[in-house]
Amino acid sequence: MRKLVTFCFVVAILFCFQVAFGTDLNAAVNSAAADGGVLKGLASLWEFTGFANVHYTHVIMIAVGLFFIFLAIKYDYEPLLLIPIGTGIILGNIPFLAGYKIGLYEEGSVLNYLYFGVKQGIYPPLIFLGIGAMTDFSSLISNPKLMILGAAAQVGIFGTFLGASALGFLPNEAGAIAIIGGADGPTAIFLSSKLAPDLMGAIAIAAYSYMALVPVIQPPIMRLLVPKKERAIKMKPPRAVSTTEKILFPLIGLLLTTFIAPSALPLLGMLFFGNLLKESGVTERLADTARNSLINIVTILLGITVGASTQADVFLTMDSIKIFGLGALSFVIATAGGLLFARLLNLMLKKDNKINPLIGAAGVSAVPDSARVVQQEGLKTDPNNHLLMHAMAPNVSGVIGSAVAAGIMLSFLM
Amino acid sequence: MSFLIVDSTTWTITILGWIIVFAALLFLVGIFLLVPKIIQGSIKRSLKEKGKTNITDDQLEISGETNAVIASALYMYLNENHDDESNVITIKQVRRRYSPWSSKLYGMNNMGFPK
Repeated sequence: MRKLVTFCFVVAILFCFQVAFGTDLNAAVNSAAADGGVLKGLASLWEFTGFANVHYTHVIMIAVGLFFIFLAIKYDYEPLLLIPIGTGIILGNIPFLAGYKIGLYEEGSVLNYLYFGVKQGIYPPLIFLGIGAMTDFSSLISNPKLMILGAAAQVGIFGTFLGASALGFLPNEAGAIAIIGGADGPTAIFLSSKLAPDLMGAIAIAAYSYMALVPVIQPPIMRLLVPKKERAIKMKPPRAVSTTEKILFPLIGLLLTTFIAPSALPLLGMLFFGNLLKESGVTERLADTARNSLINIVTILLGITVGASTQADVFLTMDSIKIFGLGALSFVIATAGGLLFARLLNLMLKKDNKINPLIGAAGVSAVPDSARVVQQEGLKTDPNNHLLMHAMAPNVSGVIGSAVAAGIMLSFLM
Repeated sequence: MSFLIVDSTTWTITILGWIIVFAALLFLVGIFLLVPKIIQGSIKRSLKEKGKTNITDDQLEISGETNAVIASALYMYLNENHDDESNVITIKQVRRRYSPWSSKLYGMNNMGFPK
């Protein structure tokens, strides 16, 4: 009985439609079948599917995305970055019919709107705000001379700039590629969005990939350049830092660095602002939002859009391969620069105040992974030698150094 | 002008850029070597005003080790501090007054029972 009522109801609705719009549904269906309309419809549907538009380059990129996700889950390599980026790579490389506002590079698509934050350099300063709100600079304040190691490791940036120029990249492109040596994803995205937007996808992926691979890249260089005896050096525990010093640090740092490199104002301004929120002690709610909710939201958006920007047709080029090569080189140069400078610094320090040269490797930035690698390497040499707190000093000064270097590059090359 | 594969402008940017990064961070180092001394000086001055004249630097500076000991002592005190209990275990018998609302006799489930 109920089925009969439903059937009658549907027929009544169809009849109403027919009367209201003057469409003879049966006739329409019959004529479509007669013209081969059903087949045409199916053919059109097929054209819309990914299977019809797939190219082998899409498959390669999807495999890269899946590999990133595998690395993140299996080996725990920067999962907070590699999972969004890996998923983004898959999203950006699903084949589709162009012109329907689907792809990241199509004006008006949802992904294009989200990508706006990357293209205009909005997301990186917000990430820096969160980093500032979660970073404790006290190890740096207690032993300020370790800050120089952060500057020494920036040799990676300038060495790569030379290398990229020698390989024939334009000066602005070379500057954007060089920042991979800063081992700082947001800075790399910020600078490349300004200097070489076309290369941004490759630069960002290279920067984040090598940051994830810091535990693989750095240890062999450390063992090669620092003798075992020096790896075992125990450093003095850092002194206690007063609240006044902690509050003064972001204020002085902000004024000084932004006066030297005003182009890096969005990055450094947000970094020190975030730190002031944390250290002032009266804006705990704001600091909490910056270091948790805000940075998480922006990381998701940044990761997914940077990943999606690697569409096979714009990403799989000879330039990308060169960028990956230069990126690896820049990490090696930066690590070696930090380590060798730490050894050089030791020659000038008193016997009871020597530093463990391993902490020089943390100057490459890549917070906090490179500091963690230093700690592990230190423990391998001497299980009682904990270098983490000491390594955090060059590590955070590397962040400041790479942001200053980015500002200088912008000033020279914009 | 080309010099060692790349042109002179590239060399200028490279060398000058690195020097500026170094200078910026060296400047910060200098300031933060100075700041603790200024703070200590002002503390000493205020202590002198209060009549405490023989203050040494060691008394003002707390080492990281001392801090770590204080922090771990506080941590242990706050986390291992346990409530003192009376050790008297009380079992309270639950008694409910009769109500037809919860009565089995008037419950709906009794409908199908054989009479």
